[in-house]
Amino acid sequence: MVEVGDKLVGYATDDEVRKRGASGGLVTAVLAAALEKGMVESVVVLKHIDEYEAVPIITDDVEEVLASTGSMHSVPVNLAKYAVDRKVAMPGKPCDIKAVIEQSKRNMIDLDNTYLVGLNCGGTMPPVLTKQMLIEMYDIDPEDVVGEDIEKGKLIYRTKDGNEKAISIEELEEAGFGRRKNCQYCQLKIPTNSDLACGNWGVIGDLAGSATFCEVMNEKGKKLIENAVEAGRIEVAPASDKAIAIREKVNGVMVKMGETTQEKVFTQMPDEERLPYYREALADCIDCGGCKLACPVCSCGDDAKCTLFHSLGDNYKMSMFHLVRLLHLSDSCIGCGQCTDVCPVDIPITRIQMSFSIPVQTKLNYKPGMNADEKPPFFEVMIK
Amino acid sequence: MIGNVYQTVCPGCNIGCGLYIREDEEGALSIDFMKSSPANEGKLCRFGIKLPEHYSKAVSMVDGAEASIEDAVKAASDKLKGADVTMLNVGNTTSEESLAFKAIADTLGCVVNTGMGVYSELPSECHPTVGVGMSLSDIESAKRIALFIDPYIQYPLVIRRILKAKENGASVVSVGWRNIHLADENKFIDPDKYESELGLDSESVIIADVHPNADPGWVKRMLNLALKTGAKIIFMKPFVNATGVDLLCKGTGQKGLKEIMDGINEGSIKTLVTLDSDLVELMPNSDEAAETLKKLDNLIVIASRDSAVNEIANVVIAAEPQYAKKGSFMNVEGQLLKNNGSGTAGIDALSSLNQNLGGEAMESASLHNKVLEGIIEKITKPKYKELACEVMDIGSMEGAKGNLVFLYNPFMWFDQKDDNDFVMVNLNMAKRLALRKGAMINLTSEGGSVSMRYKVEDMPDGLILTAKKIPAVTEWVATVSTEVV
Repeated sequence: MVEVGDKLVGYATDDEVRKRGASGGLVTAVLAAALEKGMVESVVVLKHIDEYEAVPIITDDVEEVLASTGSMHSVPVNLAKYAVDRKVAMPGKPCDIKAVIEQSKRNMIDLDNTYLVGLNCGGTMPPVLTKQMLIEMYDIDPEDVVGEDIEKGKLIYRTKDGNEKAISIEELEEAGFGRRKNCQYCQLKIPTNSDLACGNWGVIGDLAGSATFCEVMNEKGKKLIENAVEAGRIEVAPASDKAIAIREKVNGVMVKMGETTQEKVFTQMPDEERLPYYREALADCIDCGGCKLACPVCSCGDDAKCTLFHSLGDNYKMSMFHLVRLLHLSDSCIGCGQCTDVCPVDIPITRIQMSFSIPVQTKLNYKPGMNADEKPPFFEVMIK
Repeated sequence: MIGNVYQTVCPGCNIGCGLYIREDEEGALSIDFMKSSPANEGKLCRFGIKLPEHYSKAVSMVDGAEASIEDAVKAASDKLKGADVTMLNVGNTTSEESLAFKAIADTLGCVVNTGMGVYSELPSECHPTVGVGMSLSDIESAKRIALFIDPYIQYPLVIRRILKAKENGASVVSVGWRNIHLADENKFIDPDKYESELGLDSESVIIADVHPNADPGWVKRMLNLALKTGAKIIFMKPFVNATGVDLLCKGTGQKGLKEIMDGINEGSIKTLVTLDSDLVELMPNSDEAAETLKKLDNLIVIASRDSAVNEIANVVIAAEPQYAKKGSFMNVEGQLLKNNGSGTAGIDALSSLNQNLGGEAMESASLHNKVLEGIIEKITKPKYKELACEVMDIGSMEGAKGNLVFLYNPFMWFDQKDDNDFVMVNLNMAKRLALRKGAMINLTSEGGSVSMRYKVEDMPDGLILTAKKIPAVTEWVATVSTEVV
């Protein structure tokens, strides 16, 4: 009998799924069971292309779910929008889950129809830069990589010849590589906002590398686990106190790193420097709208305030598009970094947005993407 | 193709930005960012973001009536047999289709025109330098960059390369039409002073562009500047496979777009076959171009989109959309980029057409092998000598006259709607014309008048810039009269 709040260690019963999965294939098996038992109509999965690329697909084929890829640190996609208007189960990093919850508040996603299997995340990396990092820092041909992992603050790559090489994340980031900037100051590493919070932190002893630590966060999470057990797709057992303590310790270290980086990145700027700074930072904008399109929280579509008050022919020194977005998203930005990723002129949009959002969210005591029942402060009416 | 997701290349220019096109159950398209793409790391410009509006499905037609693709191919064959044929492929489709198109030209005994008339005015030893420039990543390691384009409007994905170069210590001089933010210096100087005043040397990079309306004198001037200073040079281009088409199809007797249209008007061209090259979109004045094309005895259009020229063609052979094609494109730096669609309707139709005309059958795999052989063999850059050239005179204008200059961009080449119906003028002109907020400027040329919104930019007096196609003005640079509406 599984209860909300349980902390379990488990794995897929199918040897092949267990072997192929990132940590014992539990997440894959839970998603497959949800689909085959009719809890959902489809599952969002990442279709593997190579070690640095995967494409989100929405499938109703159990075999396709079982064949889907494990965690990929170099595929920094946000999956929230693929859940819109669907009865779906999906895996997700903490920022994927945050975005789903924010979308639900905008009536784009019905959480009753959406099962969220959260994955611990120490951070993701940009794929092209990662290849460059492998060449320059690891002396590894990117094409030779067959697997990756993050353990004890080190990023480990395994190669075709059976070798592996580890370098500390700190060293990589000092050299300008490693995790995306927003991941470096992210402070939600275990997705406690999901239905199930899964990952390899706390998997110890003989099970290390072949099982998943899983925390049941709510009734939907309980249903997911019970369904997968009943379907014979997973086996679970209570996690030991030692395993729980180790998971907490790893999380504590990662969160602390995030807090420290945030303090470094978001230093107070004198008032007289703020306007020149933002003008200069946004001056290269080409008005592509990519940041809006990539934003997993934005649900305005074409009918958006940021575009309504903006025209290419404007003479403003700072675009109304950005000014409106900075305001509009200040309560709800989840800091996922998608806008920065896709900016064609490399404007650090997430950092700029978060420099507004962190104080606003702190003052309003609102953490976007964490509690589905909590209304965003700038909402007049919660849509139900 | 992965499920309903196509890995493809943006058709907006020749940079070769990778992306995914997702087709939903109802056939609606959306964009996914392809962050592993070396050319763009998932980033897209304004045109790329709007690609779902660009794509449309073509329908095969014969004499205005919907037809099967087989009937369209047969009708095209009948019209082409014995005809004196002109063929055009500017580079909006795959290298494999381009090679199949070239095979038809060989069967018919004609050449494939790429619309880049400038090539016919350049010695052949210059063609590879114009055709395949340099690696985009080399821009990042330049010590000095001279810009002869407006990257913000024309080729936005170059901006991040230039910014990276600046991070690495490069200085940037813009010799474009308006002062741009990323440049350390913005110079509007006499072309004769480029060599002495731009501070270029062998560690420098010149970024220019070449397009169907490019002034040959200007291109020669750029080549001379690179030759004399030792700087590397890259010519940006407007079409996704402009480089591939140039390498694969360029023959003797190249005609530019204007020459083709003049030939139709004069009656020397009576049968035209186009491969994803819509002259109604490409020419500055769409209505005028459509009227000219109607003078043809036969207009055969092989199309991957439902664009304006399809309506007036005698025969439309409809291929799959570009994102769904099996094949490859070559970008401006000479990289062969794979399109992972599985569609071969275009190649199959071209093969059938070639067979009907007495040529050989062709299929995708062997065409791809020929592409590899043809392209790899041809990427060498012989040395060239200084070229004699004259450059158009763009003198300053006073009073109510100005020089209107087009900043060519994908929205113009595809005549696609955008929020760009304004002209840029400097503060002096705005004051001279007593422009108020919300006022419109009326531009009058020999071709007619048009009213446009305006935007004030830091740029030379007397210049008027626009990124929008204006039918009343058909030259790259044209003198216009201005008045306030």
